[in-house]
Amino acid sequence: MAADTLKSKTGATGASGLRRLLLDNGALTALIVLVIAMSALSGDFLTADNLLNVGVQAAVTAILAFGVTFVIVSAGIDLSVGSVAALSATVLAWTATSEGVPVWIAVILAIATGIACGLVNGVLISYGKLPPFIATLAMLSVGRGLSLVISQGSPIAFPDSVSHLGDTLGGWLPVPVLVMIVMGLITAVVLGRTYIGRAMYAIGGNEEAARLSGLRVKRQKLVIYALSGLFAAAAGIVLASRLSSAQPQAAQGYELDAIAAVVIGGASLAGGTGKASGTLIGALILAVLRNGLNLLSVSAFWQQVVIGVVIALAVLLDTVRRKAGATPAAAGAGTPGNKGRQAATYVLAAVVAAAIVGAMSFLHNGSSDGKNQKIGLSLSTLNNPFFVQIKSGAQEEAEKLGADLTITDAQNDASQQANQLQNFTSSGVGAIVVNPVDSDAAGPAVRGANKADIPVVGVDRGVNKADTAALVASDNVEGGRLGAKALAEKLGGKGTIVILQGQAGTSASRERGAGFAEGLKAYPGIKVVAKQPADFDRTKGLDVMTNLLQAHPDIDGVFAENDEMALGAIKALGSKAGKSVSVIGFDGTPDGLKAVQDGTLYASVAQQPSELGRIAVRNALKAADGEKLDETVMVPVKVVTAENVDGFTG
Amino acid sequence: MSDPDGDPAEAPPTELLRIEGIRKGFPGVVALDGVDFDLRRGEVHVLLGENGAGKSTLIKMLSGAHRPDEGRILVDGEEVRINGAQDAERLGIATIYQEFNLVPDLTVAENIFLGRQPRRLGMIDRKRMEAEAAVLLERVGVTVSPRARVRELGIARLQMVEIAKALSLDARVLIMDEPTAVLTSEEVDKLFAIVRRLREDGVGIVFITHHLEEIAALGDRVTVIRDGKSVGQVPATTPEDELVRLMVGRSIEQQYPREREEVGEALLEVEGLTRDGVFHDVSFEVRAGEVVGIAGLVGAGRTEVVRAVFGADPYDRGTVKVAGSELRRHDVNAAMDAGIGLVPEDRKGQGLVLDADVAENLGLVTLRAASKGGFVDLKGQKEAAARIAEQLGVRMAGLHQHVRTLSGGNQQKVVIGKWLLADTRVLILDEPTRGIDVGAKVEIYQLINELTAAGAAVLMISSDLPEVLGMSDRVLVMAQGRIAGELPTEEATQDAVMALAVSTPTTPPTTPDSVTEVTEVEAPRGR
Repeated sequence: MAADTLKSKTGATGASGLRRLLLDNGALTALIVLVIAMSALSGDFLTADNLLNVGVQAAVTAILAFGVTFVIVSAGIDLSVGSVAALSATVLAWTATSEGVPVWIAVILAIATGIACGLVNGVLISYGKLPPFIATLAMLSVGRGLSLVISQGSPIAFPDSVSHLGDTLGGWLPVPVLVMIVMGLITAVVLGRTYIGRAMYAIGGNEEAARLSGLRVKRQKLVIYALSGLFAAAAGIVLASRLSSAQPQAAQGYELDAIAAVVIGGASLAGGTGKASGTLIGALILAVLRNGLNLLSVSAFWQQVVIGVVIALAVLLDTVRRKAGATPAAAGAGTPGNKGRQAATYVLAAVVAAAIVGAMSFLHNGSSDGKNQKIGLSLSTLNNPFFVQIKSGAQEEAEKLGADLTITDAQNDASQQANQLQNFTSSGVGAIVVNPVDSDAAGPAVRGANKADIPVVGVDRGVNKADTAALVASDNVEGGRLGAKALAEKLGGKGTIVILQGQAGTSASRERGAGFAEGLKAYPGIKVVAKQPADFDRTKGLDVMTNLLQAHPDIDGVFAENDEMALGAIKALGSKAGKSVSVIGFDGTPDGLKAVQDGTLYASVAQQPSELGRIAVRNALKAADGEKLDETVMVPVKVVTAENVDGFTG
Repeated sequence: MSDPDGDPAEAPPTELLRIEGIRKGFPGVVALDGVDFDLRRGEVHVLLGENGAGKSTLIKMLSGAHRPDEGRILVDGEEVRINGAQDAERLGIATIYQEFNLVPDLTVAENIFLGRQPRRLGMIDRKRMEAEAAVLLERVGVTVSPRARVRELGIARLQMVEIAKALSLDARVLIMDEPTAVLTSEEVDKLFAIVRRLREDGVGIVFITHHLEEIAALGDRVTVIRDGKSVGQVPATTPEDELVRLMVGRSIEQQYPREREEVGEALLEVEGLTRDGVFHDVSFEVRAGEVVGIAGLVGAGRTEVVRAVFGADPYDRGTVKVAGSELRRHDVNAAMDAGIGLVPEDRKGQGLVLDADVAENLGLVTLRAASKGGFVDLKGQKEAAARIAEQLGVRMAGLHQHVRTLSGGNQQKVVIGKWLLADTRVLILDEPTRGIDVGAKVEIYQLINELTAAGAAVLMISSDLPEVLGMSDRVLVMAQGRIAGELPTEEATQDAVMALAVSTPTTPPTTPDSVTEVTEVEAPRGR
């Protein structure tokens, strides 16, 4: 097609050539519109540093998406890439640290892990005749599970030699960007020039015709999924080296970003079409969007809405473009029908641009006009009332002290948090408050802030291997101890209990669990009959508790590592809650406190999240003004029962 | 009817539909370049033209799938714009395509009223729906239960259901795109009876067919389209050779130009091939320079046998040898390496990657051979594709045209071309000319001549009896999964072939089930 378009273009002016290029490629148009919109709205966007940041932030998604491109072109789907990435990174960190294997062998082992996962997918699909959706969905679960098993739920810090993969080359070119470019070129060559690549298009276009033309379809599929696994492993290594730690929970949901990038890039889920360049553009669109939304301080909640809308619009633009028949050369560009459609494409592009610009300027709260000190707050999640309270406390304090506070939500994804911290650094805030998803993983990004002389205050969780001006936290271990004491005393020092654990691998879960176990040592009459994770989630708390009650109907107490799970457990216990079974939660959230008042929750080990937020912002402002701070500011925890609940305010 | 001086007592037939100077272009091709057409109440107006002439594009304009770039469409004398299926439905235009638009797992009644099911209290009123469907089915004269699942019906009945569906929409204009292509002679007679009844009811029918004898039997007027232009409107009584001349723009000297060669040694030997329950003890050979035809009823197991020979499907017993060496069972690549090629029955579903371009499709078979160290010799592939496309006379905008937009005959040339590039010695053709117009058919026959002249062997399945008789050197007739007999070309007549095709071969099939399974018996069509 390219040769034809080129031929028909000779004689046309450069401007009309450009117009054709844009019309031919809806995703590229969308990317350019986005870049123009972002540059217009934020002065911090179009700087060399920030554009490199965008590249780094796109790298993991792009590398995953390159692998997924192979699969989608051949009319398959791979949902397992996020999990496989996490598993490969875990294998690398585990073999290089615990097993003491040389790094280069560890890297080979990690890549081999990715390929093996892909091969299993391929075998299930080719020879087991499973639909790709199901086979890779199974691998999504297995891969995630294995990485938790290997890491025992905790992140594994990377050896320093591997962390260099996340550094820069020659002082400016980030290695992740380099890896992305190399993988992109490999993808383009594989798709365009190799036997397996051409076979992908044929298989995706018409599998039966490909088979009857002598292509060994089953064998090719093995290779296709193995390639996807290999790319996932590469993405996992890049991701983990950026964070200096392998997170068993890393890259969750990245498979969907990868698929979105491929489809935005012009591939069809029905197979037979797709290009490496399109996929790269798709990944860049997602990264530009996230980066720009951070820079513009768009509210964390609205960011997700905007991202969804832009994904839909980008693909829509491409669809309209295709319908318009983008190469009108031979059909006679002068026909009214074509003109109308071309106009429709322009109109849609204009609408997209207007929508993006409008939405951003509308959502982007508080411009940087004032002389107020700018503070960035990166929260691990806003999916939980506890963090929402930190957010409100921080907001109140910022308003009171007259500071511009920008809040981002990392959605429990350490790598997204690293991006957000990077964006804060490059937009030059006075100080950063970080509530790390993971203490190790936040290290490299905070070191970046250190280099730029921006003080960082940790809140709720600390940051490892980087300098923080202060840590504002509740004492989780102490809280666990207090919880054990309260529950044991309520039960008279004797009885059976179950523990609902938080998300495996999080520090809150580890510390609270450890504190509780320590506190329980003083009460040998209390027996823990079961200990199961419910991921800090109310629904999961309900399900897990229901299951546990089948096995242990006669328990006397429940310790939940947060209030949400405790409330789920109370639902499962029904009328038993607060009567024959005593439940203790953790956090002191509004819902939790209300349950304490109602008597269904015996006690909540209350933190004071709003207080955490307030104190963190106060300290951050002091630090921005160059004041020296105490290294740790402990906000006390408190066991709240029916007796003292009325007097307690978070 | 076309005579304006007809019976003055009868009111002049009113015009339902008029098309004036329609033009339509697609990227790279001009599909229609000035077509005029009109349709009156109560007539059958035949649309005649080679594949690729623009008939399909024209009817897609009427059904709202495409919009004209220029020209006018008038319904009842008023200019209309048909922007989608809903507009066509509102104007009373219904189209029955070659590929049916039915949902296999819904019942007949549900299909007829799809999207318009009668409702009561928000729930579908099944009783009423089935009763109304029964009335419509009665009107088209087909005995099928409204509750039968569409999946279970044969092709003829599917078509009747489509017609019933069109009637349920109160269609005044009924467009039928090659409705007889897939029917047996008996079914065709039934269809004609229905069409005549609809004509009496005042429905205007646009009828597309490649079978010239049907024109005189059913039509009133004929509009001939060639290269996107309407080249003439003639009464249906026009002699066939005149119609052919109009259609292809020249007269066709010989329909079956078979040149018989000296046959050489046996290239393909099939011995006792059996797949339990499908075909039994099939043995034959094809020699170099020879065309062997396989005739038989649909369901006789012809396609199944050649797919097994090619390695696309497994078999239970027997051997397949090419030039004396035995092939591995169920291994397409072994068959290919030995020099066998298969042009499958379902061109679009099995022969082509429709959304890939001509060059890609032509290079599919040779892709592996053209790869070194995993890298494809793209330049060589392209040159080869250009050479073969030129040799076969594939009419296209260029090697980068998607094969989806080629006409049926040119698509088939691409499928054959990919095997020619691979130096195929034994070419199996399964219904090579189905749905292909006269001109392209002759070109494909010429190709077969060239192949055999070069020493290749051709095995050809065809349900078109004159074709089998005209092109084969020997005819094998299959019935009920067995070879019922072999006829040398001198003895092969339509009657002799039919007698064998409906016979019960020597040893009857082991299970009585396999006999009763063949419900939709389709007789090969004579001309």
